Amino acid sequence: MSTTTTAIRDSSGIRLFSWFLAKRLVQAAVVIAIVSVIVFLLLQALPGGPARGILGQQATEAQIAAFNHEQGFDLPLIQQYFNYVGQWLQGDLGRSFVMNTDVSSLIAQRLPKTLVLALAAVGGALLVAIPLGMAQALRRNKPFDYVMTGLNFIVYSTPSFFLGLLLIMFFSQFLGWLPASAPQGDTVAEILSQPKEMILPVLTSGLAGVATFSRYMRSSTIDNLHEDYVRTARAKGTPMNKVVSRHVLRNSLTPVVTMLGYYLPVMFGGALVVEQLFNYPGMGLLFWNAAQTSDFPVLLGCVLVISVATVIGSLLADVTQFILDPRARGGVK
Amino acid sequence: MSNTPAEPTNVPALKVENLVVDFKTKYGVVNAVRGVSFSVARGEVLAVVGESGSGKTITSLTAMSLLPSTAHTSGVVEVDGADVLNASEPVMDSKRGNVVSMVFQEPMTALNPSMKVGKQVAEALLNHRGLSKPEAMERAVALLDRVGIPDPAVKARNFPHQLSGGQRQRVVIAIALACNPTLIIADEPTTALDVTVQAEILELLRKLVKETDTALLLITHNMGVVADLSDRVVVMNAGLVVETGTTLQVLTAPAEPYTQALLAAVPTLPEAQWDAIIAEERAQAPEHPGSVEAAVAVDPVLDMRALCVDYTSGGRKLRAVNQADLLINRGEIVGLVGESGSGKSTLGRAPLGLVPVTGGEITLFGANLLKASNREIRKLRSRIGIIFQDPGGSLDPRMTVGDSIAEPLIMHGVNGRRPRRAARESRVNDLLEAVRLPANNANRYPHELSGGQRQRIGLARALALAPELLIADEPTSALDVSVQDEVLTLLLDLQKEHGFGCLFISHDLAVVHSVSQRVTVMQHGNVIETGLSAQVLQHPAESYTRHLVASIPSPDPVAQKQRREARTALLSSISTGS
Repeated sequence: MSTTTTAIRDSSGIRLFSWFLAKRLVQAAVVIAIVSVIVFLLLQALPGGPARGILGQQATEAQIAAFNHEQGFDLPLIQQYFNYVGQWLQGDLGRSFVMNTDVSSLIAQRLPKTLVLALAAVGGALLVAIPLGMAQALRRNKPFDYVMTGLNFIVYSTPSFFLGLLLIMFFSQFLGWLPASAPQGDTVAEILSQPKEMILPVLTSGLAGVATFSRYMRSSTIDNLHEDYVRTARAKGTPMNKVVSRHVLRNSLTPVVTMLGYYLPVMFGGALVVEQLFNYPGMGLLFWNAAQTSDFPVLLGCVLVISVATVIGSLLADVTQFILDPRARGGVK
Repeated sequence: MSNTPAEPTNVPALKVENLVVDFKTKYGVVNAVRGVSFSVARGEVLAVVGESGSGKTITSLTAMSLLPSTAHTSGVVEVDGADVLNASEPVMDSKRGNVVSMVFQEPMTALNPSMKVGKQVAEALLNHRGLSKPEAMERAVALLDRVGIPDPAVKARNFPHQLSGGQRQRVVIAIALACNPTLIIADEPTTALDVTVQAEILELLRKLVKETDTALLLITHNMGVVADLSDRVVVMNAGLVVETGTTLQVLTAPAEPYTQALLAAVPTLPEAQWDAIIAEERAQAPEHPGSVEAAVAVDPVLDMRALCVDYTSGGRKLRAVNQADLLINRGEIVGLVGESGSGKSTLGRAPLGLVPVTGGEITLFGANLLKASNREIRKLRSRIGIIFQDPGGSLDPRMTVGDSIAEPLIMHGVNGRRPRRAARESRVNDLLEAVRLPANNANRYPHELSGGQRQRIGLARALALAPELLIADEPTSALDVSVQDEVLTLLLDLQKEHGFGCLFISHDLAVVHSVSQRVTVMQHGNVIETGLSAQVLQHPAESYTRHLVASIPSPDPVAQKQRREARTALLSSISTGS
């Protein structure tokens, strides 16, 4: 926290930060605009257009034309695009063909649950990966490091559906300790009231995170251990374990924390498989079911939300790095 | 030398006897130190000098017991009478920073970038003095004040990157001083600093040693620093002590041929007439405006006039070069000197069309560079050769030396067409011969060569297209003095042979003096003074140049004493710091 206040107390720091933030916000807006164009074009590319999708194969040409006129689908593409964007900006993502509900309310109900799963998985992964990566770096090229590196690669290269199946077989079928299906319910509170059911889904989506983060942590710790400031700290008489906890930890965390933002879309992608596997009522399952039933508005709504989340994630990553690393705030004296 | 009144036992601060350090590597055992003995008393400054690979840094790290785990040691090393080589880690932790401490070479990286400097100083006190955190912080601020950091209470809350290089080195010194150690080891403490900052840090170290009666083990390659600070000298070469003696004796009448050769290779500035200069400085009026007179264009290859260069960063403009004039005639070497941030490298890169010029003119080989098309710039650029500071970094590690030298021949062609393989090979052989390297070097890779050999390759590559202008940016700064001497001699020979004009950029005034006929001095993007080297460097007309020249330590202890006094006199006569 103290770094943030220093950065803000310093007037040149504020200027640099506002400049940086303004630049990144403009970039983010441009990316989201491009994403919206792609999503819009995907909607246009539906077989037979949205009308055919909604009215079904039996609809007559006249019915379709009437529907298109009513919905504004006969207007020029550019105009349609801006109408769409207008709707999106008001939170209107269209209606589901299948469930006959607003896409936005579906997503509003599902998104928090996916976020809970993702946060639990990432948080748990970090709690394991940070000490693990540091321990590996400190015992670099020793048996412990080799074994953990090997396990890492096995976990990392195992597809999550397969990893999930293995975990179900072992903990649920063989040991009988944990239920094989995820917590059910409409609200986050209901989900959280079933912690035992959460364990396997969190484990399945978190293990890959452990593998990824601990690799990052290991290499950034190794880099930092070779830095001159470590030697300076040793020359002050600071014992090695304190050099690690006081000096190396924070400097090594920067790349890992930065990576978290970029990891967000990975978690959404993983949710698709994990939620389907455990029947967890999140956005991944929503997307999966929509794909099965060709519920295009839901699919596109999900794509749009995930894209925006990705952009926000990378924006957060950059801002975090700016705050964490005093040097990133620029060398102006 | 000891000033302490009561010193019952005569225990040296550091005793090294028959020290042997070996490293086990993949390629066998490397004998880094092969039986070295010396001792340092309290209140004494002992300089250990030697070129890279002499084992001087390894010896100093042994005294801190900070060698990598692959090292194997034997012999005796005692700090304040206590054994170091067989001491356990906890015992050494209680000594490091307390009884023996260290000042490192690179102040940019020696401090933790994400910890406030006050806290980094306080850490040493917390380790050994059992103080509370507020007490330690208070002492840390006092230490920062003692090492000459302005506004210490404010600076203590700054991060290292918010301080200048000199201030950072002062912080490192404050950390070393924190617990009043018996011995301070300073490993190249001023090598990474500008000369004027170096002079300040040396002044600080001298004062602190005198005040605290600490022993100082000074590791350096710079004979000027030795002459300035040390009482005695140990000369090391290839892991062995070559010569030991008082500073005056070793530097003025060296007994060993190795020391004689080493000293002969050190470029020196002839003594300036300090009395006259100081008198002029006091009178505030340069009596001889001659040295600021513009150079005469005889046969100019490069003529830059009123050149301005602006960089933009974070939405604001930074003027790197302001209204600078620079002229280079065919067949002449012009030195461009200045401290870091003076704009000398930016000005040197302007003729390549690589910097954002915002004003002025560049006439390169008679053509207006700023109005030239990209195609014309490319053509003009092919007539310029460049060598850089780091001979290792500027050669592609995956390319043979021969291919690196031949690359400009392929890129630009010879007489408008790409030469055939046989023609290229014979040209590469000619160039290798020109830089006095055997032709079979063409098939070797950069990592197989020494630093001096690599810089010769850099020179061969720069000469591949027979340039009319050679730009050399700190070409010898990364080299040992004896190697520097060889490369400079080679450069002068080649320049005589080929007659190119040369811009020689360096922070080292003595080196510039030894190669260039004319010199231009820059500070803060402005050209401060320009004229004949002998004139500018021996009788500078401008305050800044005078100060700069007086800051360069002379390897002659007697001359250095004069120069140091001159510097102090100049500083006192400059009422307002520029």
